[in-house]
Amino acid sequence: MTIAPIGAIGPVAGPTAITPTSGTAGSSGGDFASALAGGLDNLQGLQNKSDDLAVKAATGSLTDVHDYMIASTEASLATQLTTAVTNKAVAAFNEIMRMQA
Amino acid sequence: MPIFDSIGIASTGATTYRKWLDAVSDNIANMNDAVSTSAAAFQQRYVIAQPAADGNGVQVGGIALGSATGRVVYEPNNPLADKDGNVRYPDIDLSDQMGQLIMAQRGYQANLSVVDRAKDAYQAALQLGRNA
Repeated sequence: MTIAPIGAIGPVAGPTAITPTSGTAGSSGGDFASALAGGLDNLQGLQNKSDDLAVKAATGSLTDVHDYMIASTEASLATQLTTAVTNKAVAAFNEIMRMQA
Repeated sequence: MPIFDSIGIASTGATTYRKWLDAVSDNIANMNDAVSTSAAAFQQRYVIAQPAADGNGVQVGGIALGSATGRVVYEPNNPLADKDGNVRYPDIDLSDQMGQLIMAQRGYQANLSVVDRAKDAYQAALQLGRNA
């Protein structure tokens, strides 16, 4: 009686490449960051304008009184908006950090 | 002004009405400028308001000038009088100017009220979810 030889072990299949998950977190994070950066840029511009008009008011070359008051109102509103958005974002982050299993 | 559009628009309105106030002020200040009949009288200033070029608000497109003929008044004692005793005065009606003054003042105030209300509205929006 003959014993059949043991067949060679076939090659091991390589691991299939891991497909990255569609990055919802990455893209939305980038959008928020760019929105925040844009908001800060806008705020910077409004505050610069308000500062320029304040200098003009002090030096007496201000042509429109309301221009300065409106510019400072806009700068104040933009500051409030930016801090509100930032506070909300920090609150959301803290909320997630408090998560427990 | 990308975020606070209504404030920026009201600002253009306030600027326009300020220029109208300036024009009325100029007219009233020069109302009694007597000149000799050979010269041109002070011409009344009219502000030309038009929609802003960028579509947000209003702007002053220019100043139109009234009649240079004015009105000829007999004032033989005036050193500027010609041989017939006439001098030339600007053709400006004070009551008309006072009416324009009131309209310009009210328009200016209305635009500043818009700024105030818009500011209140935006601040109310920023309170959204403050107590959540």
